[in-house]
Amino acid sequence: MSDRIHSASAAASGVNGTLAQAMRDALCHLPGVGSAAGVHAVGLASDMAIMSLLALSAYLMLLVGRVSFGQQAFFGLGAYASGVMSAMFHAPLGLALAAGAAFGALCSWLIALPTLRLSGLHYAVATLAFGEMARVGLSAWHWQIPGEDGPVGPAGIDGFRDIRWLLENNVAPIEYLVLTLLVLLFVLGLLMQTERLRLGVGLRMIGQDDTLAAAQGIAVERVRLFAAAISGGLAALGGGLYAHRTTYIEPAVFDPMLGVHAVGYALLGGLGTAFGPLLGVALDLGLLDASRLLPGWRMVIFGGLVALFLRWRPRGLLDEALVHRLASHWRHLRSGRRTPSVSLPATRRTP
Amino acid sequence: MRFERHLLVALSVLTMAMISSKWPNAHAQSASSQSARPRLELQCQSFGKGPMLECLIELANRDGTPLDGAQIMLSALMPSMPMAHTIKPVKAAATGKPGQYKGTLELEMLGAWAVDVDINGPVRDKRSRTLMVSDCEGKPRCAASLAQATDRVPTPTGAGHRH
Repeated sequence: MSDRIHSASAAASGVNGTLAQAMRDALCHLPGVGSAAGVHAVGLASDMAIMSLLALSAYLMLLVGRVSFGQQAFFGLGAYASGVMSAMFHAPLGLALAAGAAFGALCSWLIALPTLRLSGLHYAVATLAFGEMARVGLSAWHWQIPGEDGPVGPAGIDGFRDIRWLLENNVAPIEYLVLTLLVLLFVLGLLMQTERLRLGVGLRMIGQDDTLAAAQGIAVERVRLFAAAISGGLAALGGGLYAHRTTYIEPAVFDPMLGVHAVGYALLGGLGTAFGPLLGVALDLGLLDASRLLPGWRMVIFGGLVALFLRWRPRGLLDEALVHRLASHWRHLRSGRRTPSVSLPATRRTP
Repeated sequence: MRFERHLLVALSVLTMAMISSKWPNAHAQSASSQSARPRLELQCQSFGKGPMLECLIELANRDGTPLDGAQIMLSALMPSMPMAHTIKPVKAAATGKPGQYKGTLELEMLGAWAVDVDINGPVRDKRSRTLMVSDCEGKPRCAASLAQATDRVPTPTGAGHRH
């Protein structure tokens, strides 16, 4: 029986290997992949996918009514943790990313324990302070072991270089992009499924009015802690993917601006659906930064857009009302009949 | 609802397949790739508007012999603004001198830039150096030195990057 299971799994892994090799060949031979423009496009798409994970982590905290300016810290901790796992302990990529995400989730949960009781503004300041503490801590962290090509590991302000798992395993940037996109789609799918469950409804209820949510029997504190842990894990997963993509990280990468951008993407894209933060990332990195339409003015335009949205559309482009209308239209299209759509009044409540 | 669930399962299977297909040969390739790492010298000079950053790369095998025929891509990013200000990569061309290549990047601003040297064939490697690109103060061009600790940590006064 065990032999049969073994041969079946071997056959499955053989099929997997052949399939993966065929996919790999197809990807690496796409026209233009090796050109400078192709390399730029692949890099930009990878950055957008990684930044989307960070934006989704900020989105999750916004859903439960908390603005976190410290998500970059979990991104950084995840990057360092997964880098240590793969570069120093030769762990495979999947395990390194999982360890980084778990470490980020644990840190986020521990930080949330005392801070989530704080009110909105105080919580935002506390997370910003934690973000800076983490960055300064990473700047002072030295832990290197001898490698074949010199010492490997975090070296304080000089950062952590030679996270070479992708190079050592001959993974092409376009293959890594596909993997990153699959991870992002998986996370997105999971979040969208969760939003349909009781837990997802609870998250939104807590964000809108935690007193009312508690009166409805929702364990507000427990759900917020859970959301904080998952959001830390998501940010750390993004950090792990980033560290392996760039092969080096340094504390300057985990600047507060990174966390502010993540919150900005979620607010700009919208809090009505998990697609919102992705839209925010696409608008800023995909449209403003990549197009070079107005070089030097990107930050001004992005900041101006966030300010305008906070005034006129506080829950972003894809807010709950628009998502409800779109979903309603979609349902009618699928059922093939026209019925008047029900629209929700747009909320003016700030996140 | 059922379609979304199937999609989620399919995505997780695909992700796991892609990750697991790389697992078995991790250590075997690690050793060969480490021992084949070339030696690299990078010297960059900034000039003109942008500013432009001209980089000279010298590649050599472990035994010191120049490494010719390498395909090198140069790119740069600002560590203090990761995933923004990504500069369009350029190919570094051979200068004619053995093991020497040259490429020019068009940066967006002065400040600390991490310059990536991506080598694709005959060996695969990637190196990065964080360089401080400063104002040349009247001179036509000036060397970009390795960034110091004070250059790397962005401060409210903008030591990390300067417009």
